[in-house]
Amino acid sequence: MATADEIAEAYADWQVRCNGNARLARMLRGWDRTVHLMATDTGDGFTIAVSGSVLADLRHGLVDRPDLVVSATSEDFADLFWGDLNPSEKYVSGEIVLAGSSEDVMRLDAMSMVAFLDQ
Amino acid sequence: MSEGAPAPAATLRRAMSLRTAVSTSTGLAFAALQYLAAAGLVAYVAGDSAWISIGVAGLLALMAWAFFGELNGMFPTAAAIRRYMSGAMDDRVALTITFTYLSTIVLVVAADAFIVSAALTHVLHAPGWLTAVWTLALLAVAVLSNLRGVKVAGWLQDVATSIVLAATLVVSVVALARSGTALRTPFQPVHHHSGAGFLESVALGIFLYSAFEWVTTNAEEVRDPKHIHRAMLIAVAVLFAVCAAMTTAMSHVLTHAQLITAYPQLALGQKAFGAAGIWIMAAVTTVTALNTFNGGFITASRFVYATAREGSLPPLLARLNDRAVPWVPVLLLGTTSFAVSVVVEVVGGSGWQVLVAVGAALEGMIYAVAAFCVLRLRGRVPDHHRPFRVPIVRVVAIAGLVVFSVLALVASVSVNNRFSPVPLVIILAMGAASAAYTVTVVPKLQAAEAARRAARPTRRRPRRPPGTAGPDPGAIPPPVP
Repeated sequence: MATADEIAEAYADWQVRCNGNARLARMLRGWDRTVHLMATDTGDGFTIAVSGSVLADLRHGLVDRPDLVVSATSEDFADLFWGDLNPSEKYVSGEIVLAGSSEDVMRLDAMSMVAFLDQ
Repeated sequence: MSEGAPAPAATLRRAMSLRTAVSTSTGLAFAALQYLAAAGLVAYVAGDSAWISIGVAGLLALMAWAFFGELNGMFPTAAAIRRYMSGAMDDRVALTITFTYLSTIVLVVAADAFIVSAALTHVLHAPGWLTAVWTLALLAVAVLSNLRGVKVAGWLQDVATSIVLAATLVVSVVALARSGTALRTPFQPVHHHSGAGFLESVALGIFLYSAFEWVTTNAEEVRDPKHIHRAMLIAVAVLFAVCAAMTTAMSHVLTHAQLITAYPQLALGQKAFGAAGIWIMAAVTTVTALNTFNGGFITASRFVYATAREGSLPPLLARLNDRAVPWVPVLLLGTTSFAVSVVVEVVGGSGWQVLVAVGAALEGMIYAVAAFCVLRLRGRVPDHHRPFRVPIVRVVAIAGLVVFSVLALVASVSVNNRFSPVPLVIILAMGAASAAYTVTVVPKLQAAEAARRAARPTRRRPRRPPGTAGPDPGAIPPPVP
């Protein structure tokens, strides 16, 4: 199990990578969304807001109505933000569960792919 | 909580309503190709009784609805087909079947582009060669819209589907009413025909419902998970009503020469409302492309993208443009569809009927696969959460497996009421290519992906020992809520 602190640390690293990526900034233009993260093993909830192509700081707790909900284990969230796992693979295997539109899911996956693979 | 039970539902800001789920399911099934399939079905049975074949096909579609209902309930995700097939069979077999099935989308998009273009050429009295130009233009618009990330809004899809279905139903009923003669053989499907012909008409009838199950890929977007299940059921009922009326009307008021054209729906429109009817049905045919191209391009390209991200297709197919659209699969789908539609046009005659037969056979195949998966997963994961369960599963699933396999085989060797192995050869060729790819290329791709990951150092700091979660003196404090 990863603690909330560990997830926050991983997210902070991911946030810097994403916000510093010019291509991702173009990709996220006009995509202002609220994403809820639900850690299925610890019960922790987090909120990510994307506005003006910029990822805001991670907030503890579930704030506002979400456009997208991502459910996974705390370990998977930490690994995802560190770029150590392929979220698509976990999604296809059912270990990451999503609720939201396919377009939003694509954008979220694009964030992890562009941030770490620069594709 | 049993395995696969859903997490507590969150109220999404934007969620798909039941109405949009119904219009998605119905709209994906009701492509322009349905008009030709309906006209082609008439060749196999006594025309006025064609509704019986469609009714029987509808009952079988309900069986398929039950299979997809159980599977979608177990895996309410866009990746459901990968999950239930991988769970029920060897992953290589699952990938082979999935790739073969995916080709149905290419065929439907290609056929629709050709049919809409042929209808436009006819209604504008334009030279035949313009059909290819219309096709190119339609597909170019579809490709460019997709590359720019344009997605048809839910309300527009609702309106478009309602217009297509209502107009088709009204034109069919008016054409029948204005024909002035009573139905000749409404309850004798095998009158002057054989039992085998009836079986073939049912196989073709399955195609009229095909793709209604694609709405399961929207499982993550709906307001209530039950919406998908209900939407598919309503879609099957609506498709039966519209297709039965349309087929009966076509068989009753159109000549054989009109039935075998690439635009029988225009002739039906003319019988109902004269010259205005031709324009009405030309417009309706064009609107069907909206759903087919929107749904077909998005479903296929996103699936290819996810499979490439998973490491089973070349990484090039996972490249995104600045609008987060997988541009390579979109371009590939557009060019392949154009190539297929040109071949259909060059071949002429029964070219599109071969596409209908291939589509019908593949649809039968995937329904049989769904039956197999339901049965196998009941044995392998009996405790998995199932919001909907197929009743008396052994009987229903085995019956579905047998019936859909036979219908797929029948559809694959028959074109326009004549024996023809061409559809079967095409399916076998596609299946062999998929199998060869899965066996020879996929392992190399997966090995390359594994090597790439191994070469990349893990960025995360060493994990704590299990059971020691808690504050870490060296940890960065959490952000203030």
